[in-house]
Amino acid sequence: MIDPALFDRARDRIAADGFTPDIQTKIALLLTSAKNGNLIFHGQLQWMPNLGVVQQFIISQSARELEAVTLLARTTEWSQNPTLALEANRITAPIALAWTEIMLPPGPLFNPQAAYRGLSLGHAQLARIRLLPVIPDNADPAAPFVVALNRIEQENGRMLQTQIRLLKNVGVEIPLEEREALVERDQEMVDAVFSEFLAWLAAP
Amino acid sequence: MPTVPFGPHQVHYQIVGEAGRPVITFLNGLTQNANLWAAYADHFVPRGYRVLAFDMLGQGRSSKPVIDIPLAAQADMLDHLLGELNIDKTHLASISFGGIVALDFAIRYGKRLHSLVAMSTFAELTPQLELLGAVMLQGLTDVGLPYLQSMLYPMNMSSAWIAANRERIPAMKRAGYIGNDGYAMQNLMESFVAFKPLTPDLHRIKVPTLILNGEFDFFTPRECHEVIRRHVANSRLVIVPRAYHAFTLEMPAVTMRQIEVFLDQVRVGTWQGDQSVWLASEDPAAAEPCLPVAGDWLRAVQPVARRAAPQAPKPARKPRAAKAASPTAQAIAKAPARRKAP
Repeated sequence: MIDPALFDRARDRIAADGFTPDIQTKIALLLTSAKNGNLIFHGQLQWMPNLGVVQQFIISQSARELEAVTLLARTTEWSQNPTLALEANRITAPIALAWTEIMLPPGPLFNPQAAYRGLSLGHAQLARIRLLPVIPDNADPAAPFVVALNRIEQENGRMLQTQIRLLKNVGVEIPLEEREALVERDQEMVDAVFSEFLAWLAAP
Repeated sequence: MPTVPFGPHQVHYQIVGEAGRPVITFLNGLTQNANLWAAYADHFVPRGYRVLAFDMLGQGRSSKPVIDIPLAAQADMLDHLLGELNIDKTHLASISFGGIVALDFAIRYGKRLHSLVAMSTFAELTPQLELLGAVMLQGLTDVGLPYLQSMLYPMNMSSAWIAANRERIPAMKRAGYIGNDGYAMQNLMESFVAFKPLTPDLHRIKVPTLILNGEFDFFTPRECHEVIRRHVANSRLVIVPRAYHAFTLEMPAVTMRQIEVFLDQVRVGTWQGDQSVWLASEDPAAAEPCLPVAGDWLRAVQPVARRAAPQAPKPARKPRAAKAASPTAQAIAKAPARRKAP
């Protein structure tokens, strides 16, 4: 679980400064990094042999991640400060590295372990990266960026349904304890990344 | 943050009070966490107890399994936690979802209990509860965790509490949103898919059992607690007046008083588990903590016995043709005789 004080400090910073271009850019960089990983993973997983009806769900997941990324790109008031991108890359490096490992040849298409790991990591991202608690009470609920954050988070909740179904029903050849332990490790990794991100968001 | 490993998972717990004292273990409701029992620890520790609270799997700071949380695993985990903390026996107080876990624990691990307090809970899914649970799950999965949170406040709390706390509710919802995970709530709710009624095994609960039910709890109404009362021989049902489902939060002083009196009776050996029904005092400082219920405790309103009608005065005009009795009047006329407490 993320320390609630981290959410509070990030919210207080945004309440004091508003959704500045720097703040919006930090948030957009984090979400884009995570969602691009999940998008690329699902884009390949959809061609896994013998998926049957599951294929449509996987295609939908990647389409919804694509929608989120493009929505963010269009609604974010981007900062022109390149150091933000560098720092965002550093903070999200563990997630990027994990996606890279998953996509290494032969990749999820032919490697059930990598496929399961990708589902697990995607789930951890959708479940743990939550930004509604950093939106301060004084934020304009009709501001495009705030609307986008709300929509993305609500959609994340729906996407989790598919992710849970896939985690429960695929990879059954992997022992249950091993699957749960894998999921827990990914959650801890995402929690650590997101905690550092929140501290960055709260920094002056 | 103390934790105990349980298989691949971590269980977060808090324990306060000196080692060697009698332990009271509190079990959370579905969306609750161990911190919510802090006021109870503040009350009971100075009175000579040790208080243990923990987050069940899927709650708060404990692990939130994605793939599976069998309902029975929660009681198994409590047994494991007590073992890890070298606690042989405990008093167990529980609410709502925690109440089901507590009943399961009392059935399967009864030897580890001094006593049981079951609040706002049930041993089997009534048709009403089953549909309510389905609606909650649908709200969570189709709309999201914020919707479920918004739904639970009016279901759990009184209008008076909501009016008094309206300003604080958004902050409370935000804290709940941070502390809970939608998928974990979903897994906890879906653990009821394989839920088998505990009722056939309730007779195996031998320890003193206090059942507390809010008078106006429409989430787990009286009929749910009545099942427990009827099947647990060493029990008493105490109705908390004007209380809704989450009275441990809304009326902590009244709740603590009832638990304290119960534990005292168990300790000194004056407890009488006679399946009788009582009404708690609304004043936690009242001399009598509760009084016996004389009427039909399953009814929200009590029918009044008909008296012989007084002689009607002679009408000044010719009376109109008699109307059919209203549905209410018909219901009163057909009402069964009052039930007596055993």
